[in-house]
Amino acid sequence: MEEWEYHPPPDIDATMVEHLRDFPRQPYMLVYAIRSAAAMLLRGWMRLYHRLEIAGRENLPEHGSFILVCNHTSHLDTLCMIASVPLKKIHRTFPAAAADYFFSSLPRTAVSAILINALPFDRKVKGAQSLSICAELLKNEGNVLIIFPEGTRTTNGEMGRFRSGIGRLVVGTDLAVIPCHLQGGFEAWPKGKLLPRPRKLRLRIGQARRYANLDKSAAAVNEICQDLRDRVAELGRLNA
Amino acid sequence: MTIDAALQSEIFLTYVKIIGGLLVFAGLAIGMLRVAGKDVSSIMRTYRGWLIMIPIVIGVIFLGRTATIFGVAILAIFGFKEFARATGLYDDWWLTGIVYISIAAIAVVTFVADPRLGTPGWYGLFMALPVYVISAILLVPILRNRAKGQLRQVALAIVGFVYFGWMFSHLGFLTNTANAYGYLLFLILAVEVNDIAAFTFGKLFGKRKLCENISPNKTIAGSLGAIGVSLVMPWLLWFSFPHLQPWHLIMAGLIVGIGGQLGDLVISFIKRDIGIKDMGAVIEGHGGILDRVDSMIFVAPLFFHAGRWFLGLA
Repeated sequence: MEEWEYHPPPDIDATMVEHLRDFPRQPYMLVYAIRSAAAMLLRGWMRLYHRLEIAGRENLPEHGSFILVCNHTSHLDTLCMIASVPLKKIHRTFPAAAADYFFSSLPRTAVSAILINALPFDRKVKGAQSLSICAELLKNEGNVLIIFPEGTRTTNGEMGRFRSGIGRLVVGTDLAVIPCHLQGGFEAWPKGKLLPRPRKLRLRIGQARRYANLDKSAAAVNEICQDLRDRVAELGRLNA
Repeated sequence: MTIDAALQSEIFLTYVKIIGGLLVFAGLAIGMLRVAGKDVSSIMRTYRGWLIMIPIVIGVIFLGRTATIFGVAILAIFGFKEFARATGLYDDWWLTGIVYISIAAIAVVTFVADPRLGTPGWYGLFMALPVYVISAILLVPILRNRAKGQLRQVALAIVGFVYFGWMFSHLGFLTNTANAYGYLLFLILAVEVNDIAAFTFGKLFGKRKLCENISPNKTIAGSLGAIGVSLVMPWLLWFSFPHLQPWHLIMAGLIVGIGGQLGDLVISFIKRDIGIKDMGAVIEGHGGILDRVDSMIFVAPLFFHAGRWFLGLA
C-alpha cells in the first residue's frame, strides 16, 4: 500500500498573534464566517446611517485582479470601498493599510486582519518590500487591492499629493487601476474624531486605467500618479 | 451544576484549595530552583501556561453545566481543527464543516434532556450520533461525484470526529451526573498529575525506552511511575466520590494511569506520522490544544463508561 502524504502548513507552530500578523493569510473558516457577517452588517450600516450612494459599479471588472484608488478623507473610505465590491469577492479584497497604525496593537491587528482583511503596508521603512507583496497579490487572478495613494488621511478636506507607490506598482503592467472618489467622508468622520457622524456619503467609481504602454521610469511613475490624481479629482467634480 | 451549587459544593471548594495550593507550591519550588542557580526558563514557560489555563478551567466549571459543555465543545472543535490543519483535511471545507457542526451537535445532545426519560443529557442520541455523522461524511464524495483521494479525506474526517469530537465530548457528558464536580475535577487533576508523574519519573529514573519509534523521550520507568502515582490518586481524592468502593478506586487509577499514557502516545504517533513536533502553539510552553488534552481524550470515555457500567451514572 502506498503511503499517504500529509501536507502540514508551514505555520503550524505559529501563535494566534503570529497568524493574525501573517501575510498572505491562510484561509480559516471561522475568520471567513466572521468577515462575511461583518461585511453584510457594514453594508447595512453604510446604507442606513450614511445613505451611501455608489455610482459606476459597472466599471468594476468581473474577471482578473484590479486596484481601486481613492481619495483618503477618513476611515470611512476603506469601509465604503469594501462595501462597493461584490460580497463574494470580500475575502479577496485587500485594503492596503499602514502597518504602523493598523497593526500596532493586538486589538487593532485583530480588527484589521479579520474584519477588514487589510494588507499591512509599511509606509516608513520597507516600502519597496510592501509594494512587492502587493504586486505578488495582484498576480493571482481575482484579487482586489484598495490603495489610498495620498498615504494618509487629509486634515483639511483637500486632496493631497499622490505618492509614487501606486505608479511604481502598475507602470508597464496590464493591471486595471480604477479611480474612485468619495464625497462626504471628511465631513462625516474627520481625523481625530472618535465616531462618525451620520452624513451622506457618495462614492463614484470611474473607468479603468491601464499603463501597459509606459516604460519603467521615474517620469512615467510621476505621469501615472498625476493622471490618477486628475481622474479622481474629475470624479470629485462630478460628485460635488 | 450552577454557581450556587459550586459555592455550596464541598468537593468543588476543596479542589479549588488543592489546585491553588499546588500552583503556589510549584511556584515556590521553581523559585527555589532559581535561587539555587538552576536554569528554569523552560519550566517557567510551562508554569505560566498553567497559571493561565487553570483559572479558566476552574472558572468555566464554576459557571456551571452550560459553560462546561460549551467549553468542552470549543476545545473539541479547535482540537479537531489542529488535527485537520496538520493532516491537510482542513483544505476540504465541506468535510471540516460537517465535523464542526457534528461536534456542536454533540454539545446540544449533551445539553438537552432525554425526551423519554426526562433526565439531563440525551444519552441514547449521544451514543448513536456517530452513525449519522459517519453517514453524512461518507455522503460527501458521492454528492460531489469525486473519487480521487476521497478515502483518505473521509477516513481523516471520521477519525477526527470520533476521536477528537465524540470520545473527548464524554467529558462534557459527565456534567449530567449527580456527582459532576467530583468526577470532572478528579479526572482533570488526576490526568494532569499522571502526565507530570510520567515526565518526572522518566527524567529521574528513565533508561529503557517505552516506544522509541513513537516518542523517544518516554521511558518504561516513567510509565510505571505514572501508573503508580495514578493508582494512589483516587485514594487521596476519595472525598470526590465517597460512594465508590475500593476496587472502583483501583479501576479509576488504572484508567487514568494507562489510558492517559495511551492518549499521549496516540497524539505522538499521529504527530510523528505527519512529521510535526507540536499540534499548534495556542498555549505558550504547552504546544497546541491537542498536546494538552491528549490524555483526556482517551481517559474521559473509558472513565465515563466504567462509571456507567458499574455505578449506573448518567
